[in-house]
Amino acid sequence: MPDGAPAEPEAATLDPAQSEILATLEAELGEGVIEHTDALGNLVVRVRPEAWRRSAEVAKAMLGCDYLSFVAGIDWLPAPAPGGDDDAGVEPSAPVQPTEMTFGAAGSEGRFQVFAHVQSTARHHGVTLKTDVDEAKPLAESWVSVYPGADWHERECWEMFGIGFDGHPSLRHLFLPGDFEGHPLRKDFPLLAREVKPWPGLVDVEAMPEPDPEPEPGAVP
Amino acid sequence: MGLVERGVLSKPAVKPLTWLLNYSRKYSLWMFQWGLACCAIEMAAALAGPRYDMMRLGVIPFPASPRQADLVVVSGTVTDKMAPAIKRLYEQIPDPKYVISMGSCSNCGGPYWDSYSVTKGVDQIIPVDVYVPGCPPRPEALLEGIVMLQARIQNEGIGNTELAARWQGEPITVGGADA
Amino acid sequence: MSTTNPPMPEIQLEPGALRHLAEAQVNVELDTGDMILNLGPQHPATHGTLRLVVRLDGERVISADPVIGYMHRGYEKLTEYRTYPQVTTLINRIDWLSSFANEVPFVDAAERLMDVEAPPRAQYIRTILTELSRIATFYLFLGEMALQVGALTPAFYSFRDREYVLNLIEAATGGRFHPNFNRIGGLKDDLPWGWISEARAAMAKILDGCDEFEDLVVGNEIFQARTRSIGIVGGELGAAYGMSGSNLRASGVDWDLRRDGRPYLVYPELDFKVWTHTDGDSYARYWVRLQETRESARMVLQALDQIPSGPIRAKVPLIIKVPAGEAWSETENPLGQMGYYVFSKGATGPFRVKIRSASFSNVSILPWLLRGAYVPDVITILASLYFILGDIDR
Repeated sequence: MPDGAPAEPEAATLDPAQSEILATLEAELGEGVIEHTDALGNLVVRVRPEAWRRSAEVAKAMLGCDYLSFVAGIDWLPAPAPGGDDDAGVEPSAPVQPTEMTFGAAGSEGRFQVFAHVQSTARHHGVTLKTDVDEAKPLAESWVSVYPGADWHERECWEMFGIGFDGHPSLRHLFLPGDFEGHPLRKDFPLLAREVKPWPGLVDVEAMPEPDPEPEPGAVP
Repeated sequence: MGLVERGVLSKPAVKPLTWLLNYSRKYSLWMFQWGLACCAIEMAAALAGPRYDMMRLGVIPFPASPRQADLVVVSGTVTDKMAPAIKRLYEQIPDPKYVISMGSCSNCGGPYWDSYSVTKGVDQIIPVDVYVPGCPPRPEALLEGIVMLQARIQNEGIGNTELAARWQGEPITVGGADA
Repeated sequence: MSTTNPPMPEIQLEPGALRHLAEAQVNVELDTGDMILNLGPQHPATHGTLRLVVRLDGERVISADPVIGYMHRGYEKLTEYRTYPQVTTLINRIDWLSSFANEVPFVDAAERLMDVEAPPRAQYIRTILTELSRIATFYLFLGEMALQVGALTPAFYSFRDREYVLNLIEAATGGRFHPNFNRIGGLKDDLPWGWISEARAAMAKILDGCDEFEDLVVGNEIFQARTRSIGIVGGELGAAYGMSGSNLRASGVDWDLRRDGRPYLVYPELDFKVWTHTDGDSYARYWVRLQETRESARMVLQALDQIPSGPIRAKVPLIIKVPAGEAWSETENPLGQMGYYVFSKGATGPFRVKIRSASFSNVSILPWLLRGAYVPDVITILASLYFILGDIDR
């Protein structure tokens, strides 16, 4: 169902498995759980930054979530307006996103968030955990001591968003060359190719071919 | 030997000799395996697939090192991180060498034309002889590109100065006022 | 030849002595430093542009550091500048061997956000095409891992038989791979006339080909000697690293998203077996994929028998605007678990798409896995994990 209301804690109806997961998290983390919701069948729980690593430990030890799917970041700053919509009638070359800052399921405190998904291979359930990251000093706790696979995911998150991870063995570039400047997935990192020229597919430069001339009456087809 | 560099083989009198040299060169191309991305799978299907079988055209894909190759088919996306490696490997191939750019990623950046990490076309780094369009091009398209290259090789030095230029690794001018 | 060699003296060796001789140091005073070897980014064995910096003591690996990013094309940023149908065009190049399977979870997420359901015939055709792309990928693996281990013939067999599957995909979608056939709400077109009987004939050939591989490769002593007990991964550690798919099932973890995850496509209506193996070594990974290829061929035959008639696309508006929300959609792709976390703000394109690709996590275990391996075994382990660089680097 469309989730239209932004940043409002929803009294979502959870199924029994999700309620159990939520109850365990609330029992172990106490004040650490801020909000929760059900996003199209997926339980999303937002926890405080200081409870981030503890929530991973609880998921692994008590919820049986032995499988780490991913750890990633998100920047809620509104997307920049696409070029090419100066004149009226000229179609913008990229989708136009809303200009006000709204947040997703289970809300957010600010611009940056780190979110992760863990699953249980035996009990066939999973949970998405989110936490807020301070924009002035982007730092989150590292999950490497709980899930060793988080090593590369956190390196990618640092590289793309600039979010540091406290306790990570070595935060260095993963995808980009060593001398790359900037954090590409931030919304204020401009995609220069799009600024310089709009998407070439919008405007047809070649004229359509002339239609075939009418055959003369009596001519053999 | 010097016959090519001294321009002896470009003279009309020795045209049969030049023709024979080009004929034997075009049917014994040693292709350096430079598969980067999806186009590499189509290139592999063209090489190893019994249906398309590039080896019947004389293109052998097993040189032991770049120093023993004379054709490189760049198939797949070229990223800025990979570009220095491509340049270094291209420089290791001895002259005369040929480059086929396969697929739209290496022709012009392809579907990733606006990415922050993709080089918009391998011809920004190395000179390309034949562009094979497609995403990915069918194996038959790659075969057509190779046949086109072979036709080009056959005509080198016959009525033009391309043979000596290629032997010495100088840039080849295409077209121009007198074409 | 009239010369005969003198008879060899009988040497009695205990079975373990040969291993000690192999591991003996040459000379205690010859203290050599470690060597750093750079495998890639251009190397026939690295299946793409993976660079592996290994530190060696003689033939043994002390530490390995994979350097990735040579195929990083910036997918997650590109999706923010494209409409939903344009994203579908782009994402089937992530895992470029099983292209159709990459589109399915994204289109599934968008459809759930829009509260639109593809009609049953479209779901069946999607399942069939997904399983065909699984067969195409695994078939390449079967030949290509044998090639890495040293056998040249299976590679030609796999390319030959793969052509049958690629012909089917091309007849239905227009592209051998990168079909771009999914649309939000269904598919682009219906199947051509005569496709179903062609598919049945092709699956019969695939099943025969799998039997051939079982004899030629799996039963081969050299193959077994090179792959048994090489690169053992425990199930629990693999899951903590995020390893998924056939790699995890080869370590004994009985988990398959087609059966255990949220029901998607028509898998609940098909009857199939999930194959696991207890050893967790390279041989187990090869064996599990071979069985899964056969199972996929059988699933295609089942689906072809059950396919209903009807429309192939639900009614969706021409300009697709997906309502605001977020959706997580994961599927059992040939390489493992692939998922898309789609954040939408009601525009014609997504706000952010987090692409969870299987090979990224499969390869992150390499620094742990390669310690203590011999150099030829490094090649075997890389081949058995079966990653695609586009899937790692996105």
